[in-house]
Amino acid sequence: MKISVNTEIALTYLSARKKQTAVASLGVMFGISMFIFMQSLMKGTNDYFEKMSFNSTPHIRLYSENKVADNHILKGFLKDSSVKMLTNPKQLIQTQGLNNPYGLVKEISKYPRVANVTPQVTAMVIYTSGSVQINGNVAGVDIDQENKMFDVQSNMVAGNLHDLNRVNNGLLIGKGVADKLSLHLGDNITVTSGTGSPTIMRIVGIFATTIKQIDETKSYANIVQAQNLLGKDRSYVTDIKINVKDYNSAPSVAKDLETLTGYKAEDWVQANEQIKAAFKIRAVILNSVIGVLLLVAGFGIYNILNMTIYEKIKEIAILKAQGFSGPSVTSIFLQQALFIGLLGGLIGVSFGYLITLMVSHIYIGAGTLKYLPMSFYTPHYIEAIIFGILTTVAAGFFPARKASKVDPVTIIRG
Amino acid sequence: MAESALKATNITKYFHDPVTIPVLKNISLDVHKGEFVSIVGKSGCGKSTLLYVLSTMDTDYEGSLDINGTLVTGKSLNALAKIRNASIGFVFQFHYLLPDFTCLKNVMIPALRLGKLSYKEVEEKAYEKLKMFGVEDQALKRADKLSGGQQQRVAIARALINDPAIIMGDEPTGNLDSKNTGIVFDLFQKLSKEFGQTLITVTHDEDFARRSDRIIEMADGEIKSHGK
Ligand SMILES: Nc1ncnc2c1ncn2[C@@H]1O[C@H](COP(=O)(O)OP(=O)(O)O)[C@@H](O)[C@H]1O
Ligand SMILES: [Mg+2]
Repeated sequence: MKISVNTEIALTYLSARKKQTAVASLGVMFGISMFIFMQSLMKGTNDYFEKMSFNSTPHIRLYSENKVADNHILKGFLKDSSVKMLTNPKQLIQTQGLNNPYGLVKEISKYPRVANVTPQVTAMVIYTSGSVQINGNVAGVDIDQENKMFDVQSNMVAGNLHDLNRVNNGLLIGKGVADKLSLHLGDNITVTSGTGSPTIMRIVGIFATTIKQIDETKSYANIVQAQNLLGKDRSYVTDIKINVKDYNSAPSVAKDLETLTGYKAEDWVQANEQIKAAFKIRAVILNSVIGVLLLVAGFGIYNILNMTIYEKIKEIAILKAQGFSGPSVTSIFLQQALFIGLLGGLIGVSFGYLITLMVSHIYIGAGTLKYLPMSFYTPHYIEAIIFGILTTVAAGFFPARKASKVDPVTIIRG
Repeated sequence: MAESALKATNITKYFHDPVTIPVLKNISLDVHKGEFVSIVGKSGCGKSTLLYVLSTMDTDYEGSLDINGTLVTGKSLNALAKIRNASIGFVFQFHYLLPDFTCLKNVMIPALRLGKLSYKEVEEKAYEKLKMFGVEDQALKRADKLSGGQQQRVAIARALINDPAIIMGDEPTGNLDSKNTGIVFDLFQKLSKEFGQTLITVTHDEDFARRSDRIIEMADGEIKSHGK
């Protein structure tokens, strides 16, 4: 292998100070492996929470919002000259449902960025068994579509969710509801909504999510059944739930849908603002820790190079006297920095992977979370290497430039 | 008249520390190809300072300097570095080897920088040069493990590695005994006579100076005599 004389000099200087080289590389290694470990942990956790929230919430929920005034469409055309009509939803009875819901479903499903659409009727109800009563809500759904979008099946602890389509007056209840009313598969339950008459329903399944509040209130019924419960006709739909192909595009799709339909389209980002806030806080903590680590690593490199240059200033002068140009000297010292960065970086990447792997086997056992959620995401490793090299070069830059500016005459004259 | 190897015209240089004083005063000097010139003068008269200017290392002077018929005054530092690498060999008053490298590597480095020969060829050539000064058996030792005299001989070998057109020495034999001084002198003479290389050496050794082609005498920053 043919290596340039600059590289040869750089390597000789590094091997002449093995201890310092090792310490500086160790600094980089530590920074890089922590970078990978923390990124993996954060992405793993974020992915987990995101997945969790998508198991119960759609990417976008379209519903009719009770609003005092709605002039946003007119305002678009008339600007400030639009007239604001105020209506008070408490006084003037508005229909809760969506107009022409199935037309909307059809229209929305044509939308290229949309993956799945399903209508839902939500009914606030009271469950009664014997003399025990609890509050809750029934989601009237197309259970096949619901299962496709939210994987209801994975939460089933008893019964068969497809019985909702087969059994007249079938109901899937949360495990909390079942426990509170001490009900089992096949038992009957009385469900009463605010507007309809009490209906006796048959428990065809029991589900358990990780969220206690849902398990203690929610039940699924066929959409027609829910409409009956409320005493409404077949065109009554309260929500349209939409999943998009790329959930990150949900906010922009939601905006389009709002304009298209005139109804409120709430995307998952709005619905889960606290999760998003937690993501952001974690990102800030993570980035500051990584920043500090890389700073320390960079300082190690800066230090060793500065020391080398201080000790070797005479030799730098000699090299320059013999015809090494400023750029050659810069290259000698930058290569030392790069080598330290590369050595530390490569070990750091493998070490980071190992820590991530080890930590992913730590048992947590809370809810559906068995092990610490770690992601193995290749871009993290590439980012780590890029960051490592950037830090190294930045740390090496100033000492190297200082070295390149050494004036041979001043040094040699003494 | 023979071709000029190095021509200095009205070189003046000041030091500003602690007060501005001229160290070189209007020095003009012409050395032709293949000439072996000695510069002598009392300590502190400006010999080293002049040599640094002539070697292109020092660019802070007034006047002009031509090397091999080309004006080098005002060239960029990088261009000057190239010229030094290819055309000028410099032997310092104190040996100044790179202590982390072997003697052989020390000699090889300027040639590797020049990049005209393969690594193998450079290695062979460096061995030859060390042999000329009788230090080939030290080739693989670290430079800082040698005696002062040995180091000085390695340093001279290093100055010769690229077959420079001009070889400059600031008391190159200052650390050598009379036997080795003799070897170096004979070699320098051979370089000038047989290979047409130009030598400019500052020396305190009267005998050494007398046997060279020409003696330039300096006093107080001026040239008192250009010799022959
Ligand atoms: N960096 C400097 N600053 C100020 N004066 C200097 C410096 N270096 C050398 N001198 C002065 O310049 C003069 C010439 O020095 P030098 O060229 O080294 O003399 P020589 O080599 O002939 O002994 C001396 O008087 C010395 O004191
Ligand atoms: Mg001197």
